[in-house]
Amino acid sequence: MNNRAFAVTAPAVETAHHTKIRVRDLHFHYKEFQALKGINMDIPEKQVTAIIGPSGCGKSTLLRIFNRIYAIYPGLEAKGEILVDGEDILDPRYSMNRLRSRIGMVFQKPVPFPMTIFENVAYGIRHHEKLSKAVMTDRVEEALHGAALWSEVKDKLKQSALALSGGQQQRLCIARAIALKPEVLLLDEPTSALDPIATGRIEQLVEELKSQFTIVMVTHNMQQAARCSDLTAFMYMGELIEFDQTEKIFTKPDKKQTEDYITGRFG
Amino acid sequence: MNTSSDHIIKSYDTELTRLTGEIVSMGELAVKQLEAAIDVVERRDERAAQRVVDNDDAIDRMEQDVSHDVVRLLALRAPMAGDLRNVFAALRIAADIERIGDYAANVAKRAIPLSMVAPVRPAAGLEHLARMAATSVRDVLAAYRDRDVERAHAVWKNDTVLDEAYTGYFRQLLTYMMEDPRNITPCTHLLFMAKNIERIGDHATNIAENVWFQVTGEPLQAPRTKLDETSSADFSGLPVEPDRRC
Repeated sequence: MNNRAFAVTAPAVETAHHTKIRVRDLHFHYKEFQALKGINMDIPEKQVTAIIGPSGCGKSTLLRIFNRIYAIYPGLEAKGEILVDGEDILDPRYSMNRLRSRIGMVFQKPVPFPMTIFENVAYGIRHHEKLSKAVMTDRVEEALHGAALWSEVKDKLKQSALALSGGQQQRLCIARAIALKPEVLLLDEPTSALDPIATGRIEQLVEELKSQFTIVMVTHNMQQAARCSDLTAFMYMGELIEFDQTEKIFTKPDKKQTEDYITGRFG
Repeated sequence: MNTSSDHIIKSYDTELTRLTGEIVSMGELAVKQLEAAIDVVERRDERAAQRVVDNDDAIDRMEQDVSHDVVRLLALRAPMAGDLRNVFAALRIAADIERIGDYAANVAKRAIPLSMVAPVRPAAGLEHLARMAATSVRDVLAAYRDRDVERAHAVWKNDTVLDEAYTGYFRQLLTYMMEDPRNITPCTHLLFMAKNIERIGDHATNIAENVWFQVTGEPLQAPRTKLDETSSADFSGLPVEPDRRC
C-alpha cells in the first residue's frame, strides 16, 4: 500500500505501515462556521497518531468525525471522504452500528455508567453480540486485562464503577471501548483529568494497545504527544499544517507555524 | 498567528539568551588565554605562563555553569525543535571551548621549560599559527552569537589553511632539529605546542558544525580535506647515532 499519498496540506510520511484511515478533502461546518478546511491525511494501522494544536483548531472535531458523533446533532455537515480500509464511513448508508464496532472512542473525562464494573464492560458488548454468560465473562476479563485494570478490580467486579479512582475509571472506559474489539481507538485528551501517575499508566497502556489497534489521540500535552505517538499532526484554524513522524515534528518541523506552536511562541 | 521569535513565557527567552551569553564569554576567555599563552612564549615569562595555566580553572567553572543551566533548561522548560537544538548545541560547544582552554593552558605550561633553554629561531613561527587559531575561534563564536551559518561554514572550511600551516611548521622544526641536536629539546616543546594549536582549530570546526546543526537541524556533512600531514611525515632524514643502532 502506498503511504506517500498525502496531498494538499500534508507532506508524505515515511512509514511501512498499511494506511488504516485515509482522509480526503474533508470539510466540516458547525452551521455557518467552517471548522475543518480540506483535510488530507493517511493514518497508518497499528500506530499511534497524535493530533495537536491550539484550542479551536479542529483537532477534536476531526477525531469526532472519525466515528460520526456529529450525526446526532442537526445542522452539522461533513464533506469529503474518510476511508477506513477503503470503506467511506461518511457515506450516510454506512451502518452506524458497524462504524461504532469498528471505531471505539474514549473521552477526556471518564464517564463510567452507574452500574457495576463488570456491567460497564459488558454493556456495550451486549449491544453488538449475543454471548453466553461464560463467554461474556471471558470477554470482560480479556478487556480488563487489555486495559491493565484486571489486577486492580478482579475481586470487586460487582462493585459500582463510580467508586474507582479517576485513572481507574479512564482505564475502565478504555476496557469498555476495546471490549468491542474495534480496529481503531480514538482518544480525546484521555489524561487531561488525571494525575501524573494515572497519566503514566494510560500512556503505558497506549503503547501496549498499539500492537492491536490503530490509535488516534488528541492531546493538549505536547510532551505526551512526543512520548506516546509515532506520528504527529499539527492543526491550526481548521487546517492540517504539518503531519509527520513525531520525532521529526518535535526536533525539526518543516513549518514555522509548527515550530512556533511546539516551542511556545504561539500567541 | 504571532510568529515572532519571543516565547510566550518571557523568562524562557531570558534563560536562552543568558546561555548564549555564557558560551560567548567562555569562548572569549579561551581566546584570550590562547593569546596570553603565545605572549608568554615570546616574552619567556615563566610567572605569567603559570598565571595562564591557573586561569584555565575559570573556563572549567564556566563550563560547569553552562552544564548546570542546560540541565535546568531541559528539566524545567522541556525545549522542543529549534530550542532543543539550541540547548543541545550549547552543551557541545561549551565542551569544545573547555578543550580549547586546556590546549591554551598546555601551550603556556610548555612555555615554562622553553624559557629555561636558549632561545631558538622557530619559536616565532608559533605565533602565526596561534593567531590563525584565535581568528577561527573568534569567527566561530561570532557565527554562534549571530546564528550565522555562512560564517560558521567559512570557519569550518578554512581549517585546512591552519592544517597546512601546521604541517609546514612541523617540517620546519624537524629541519632545525636535524641541523643541530641542541635544538631537539626546545623544538620538541614547540612541536607539542603547535599540535595543541592545530587541535584548537579542530575544535573551532566542531563548534562550526554545531552552529550549523543548531540553525538548520541538519549535520554539516560536506567532505572536508584534513591537511595535517604530519602523521605521514618522512623521518628518514633525521640523524641517527650509529653506535646506538640495534
